[in-house]
Amino acid sequence: MIYDFFYGVLNAHFSSLLSGIGAWFIVFMIGGLITINVPIFLGWVDRKLSGRIQARYGPVYTGPFGLLQNVADVIKLMGKRFITNQVIDPLIYNIVPIAIAMLGFLMVFIIPWGNAGLTLLFIPYNLLFIYIALAVSPLLVLLAGWGENNKYAMLGGFRGAAQITTYELSLLIVFISVAMLAGSYDISTIVSAQSGMWYVVYLPITLVVFGISSLAVIERGPFDIPEATQELQAGWKIEYSGIRYGLFFIAEYVRLLVISMLIVYLFFGGWNGPLLPDYAWFWIKTIIVTFFMMSLRWVFNRPRIDQLIKIGFNWLLPLAVINLLIVGAVIFF
Amino acid sequence: MENENMNKITINIGPVHPSTHGVLKFVVEIDQDTIKKVEPEIGFVHRGVEKMAEMKYFNSFMPIADKLDYISALNWEVLYATTIENALGITVPPRAVYIRTLMCEMQRMMSHLLFLAHVGEDLGNTTLFMWGFRERELLMDLTEEVSGGRLAPMYVSIGGLYYDLPEGFSEKLLSTLSVIESKVKNEYRAMSYENGLFKMRTVGVGIISREQILKYGITGPNIRASGIKRDLRKDEPYLAYDKIDFDVVTEKAGDAYARFMVRVNEILESIRMIRQVIKDMPTGDVKVKVPWIFKIPPKYTFVRQETPRGEAAMYLVTNDDQKPYRLKIRAPSFYTLQAVKELFVGSKVADLVAILGSLDPVPGEIDR
Repeated sequence: MIYDFFYGVLNAHFSSLLSGIGAWFIVFMIGGLITINVPIFLGWVDRKLSGRIQARYGPVYTGPFGLLQNVADVIKLMGKRFITNQVIDPLIYNIVPIAIAMLGFLMVFIIPWGNAGLTLLFIPYNLLFIYIALAVSPLLVLLAGWGENNKYAMLGGFRGAAQITTYELSLLIVFISVAMLAGSYDISTIVSAQSGMWYVVYLPITLVVFGISSLAVIERGPFDIPEATQELQAGWKIEYSGIRYGLFFIAEYVRLLVISMLIVYLFFGGWNGPLLPDYAWFWIKTIIVTFFMMSLRWVFNRPRIDQLIKIGFNWLLPLAVINLLIVGAVIFF
Repeated sequence: MENENMNKITINIGPVHPSTHGVLKFVVEIDQDTIKKVEPEIGFVHRGVEKMAEMKYFNSFMPIADKLDYISALNWEVLYATTIENALGITVPPRAVYIRTLMCEMQRMMSHLLFLAHVGEDLGNTTLFMWGFRERELLMDLTEEVSGGRLAPMYVSIGGLYYDLPEGFSEKLLSTLSVIESKVKNEYRAMSYENGLFKMRTVGVGIISREQILKYGITGPNIRASGIKRDLRKDEPYLAYDKIDFDVVTEKAGDAYARFMVRVNEILESIRMIRQVIKDMPTGDVKVKVPWIFKIPPKYTFVRQETPRGEAAMYLVTNDDQKPYRLKIRAPSFYTLQAVKELFVGSKVADLVAILGSLDPVPGEIDR
């Protein structure tokens, strides 16, 4: 609880109102810095990893190992002229990228960063809050597709809304099964409930369901159907350029990281582990999971939208429900 | 009626689109995500090649023959050179014939590797795209070593070849072939043709029937995927194809997956052929002397050969002049593309990309 820490430090010198405002300010700054730096660093990792898989080098020239390439890209995106279609709906068009980036910011704010104490702001039901932040996105995608007033964008928006609403259901059921087993929606309670045995042993099918549905919900490849470059050029992102387009990257990589962290928290025992300190265990696990989730994009091709929805409703949702029932029965008896 | 129109959207796919293989355009009418009507628009890279041929000396047309189908330039070079040689009545020395066969098969492999790469890209798998280019690059380097050119080599001349193969070429080629063979058999298998998601997208998609083949005059790997065993290399052997042992690759299903598999197996077959050609390569001269400017007596010459995209043909009418009276070019992609009007209807927008990729059209050749 970083907020409480700063509040305590400030309260020793200032009044409670001032120190409250000051602590909020500091926490917001930290959250913002993390939110901006995650896509910059994770984007670089993604580029390097895809380069290695595809027999290329990835970025090499900007900074050591090309580390500054994404910084340069952000500067380029910010310097770009604002070009857009004349027939857009300006309100929706401008709100969507900001809202999507804010959702990433919200998740950064709530999720623990490797230790029960390392959250920017403590909320008892943080798993549920993260789910809400993930679940708002179909509305935004649909809005973006509508507000851009472009045929490709509209097709992409409809595809996105259909895909995300399909997979959100299974995602929610996965969350519920884990929460039932641990008896809480709080991530640190779920982690401490796994100190004896990781949940991946009890819920292996749920892990698979979670992995697939989460990739579909965050529209990460191979399930990047709403923005399929080869079919819809850029789908619902088609009219965006400059920093508005850059804000989508914040959402993409923050959500990818959050998904990987959630897999570690919910199934691989979070920060539980012998010998090493707890945050070290957490980050080792998270790095492995993130690499795995990232490389899926570079190995598989994209399914068709109707096939994806069929998989979602015919396989993942029944599997998730059956798993939920089994968990319920085990707890009940 | 009004409601029907409300549901339909007309979208332009192309001419600048990530997966139209150059500058093709499709005006597509869609109902939700299903295609109702397709109208292909061609002609964005029309250069008037057939008319250009009438204004040039026979030798000067060779660089343009190169750029008809820029993915398989050597096949077209060989086709044009053979047409003129048949009209002149020249016999090419045996070593030149063998080297031409070798280059044709190398070009076929390059073209098919690019096809595999593009199908991967069209389905959203950029890794297959990069890998296809990686293997093609090895052969491109060899082509560069032979001729100095990569995409448009200008290696075949009327009466033979411009130069002989460089020293140590066959060893390099053989080692490259074994690299490509293992990559196609192992890495590509995992990434594409044994991959569940890849099969999901391609199996049963865009089936070409026998009637459509007859109706539109489709040729090449696209009909061999529909189970028709027709290959000019076997049926009407030219170059050294009657002296080497190879099989005509066929598949039964006729869908996008079968078309992919035909190309995969043709790459492996080409590797087998090149190994035989290198083994049997005769020694001797690689060209007969032909003057730069010459006349051909009045006659009709028709030559057809198998390019990676199907049967290409040239029909030459000469008029006792230094230039052709008329040169009609049959471009196989042009006939294949006409079938999309039927193939796309009823499929999803995503399948349009997959089917188009599996037909392997090249706009440079379609538009001429």
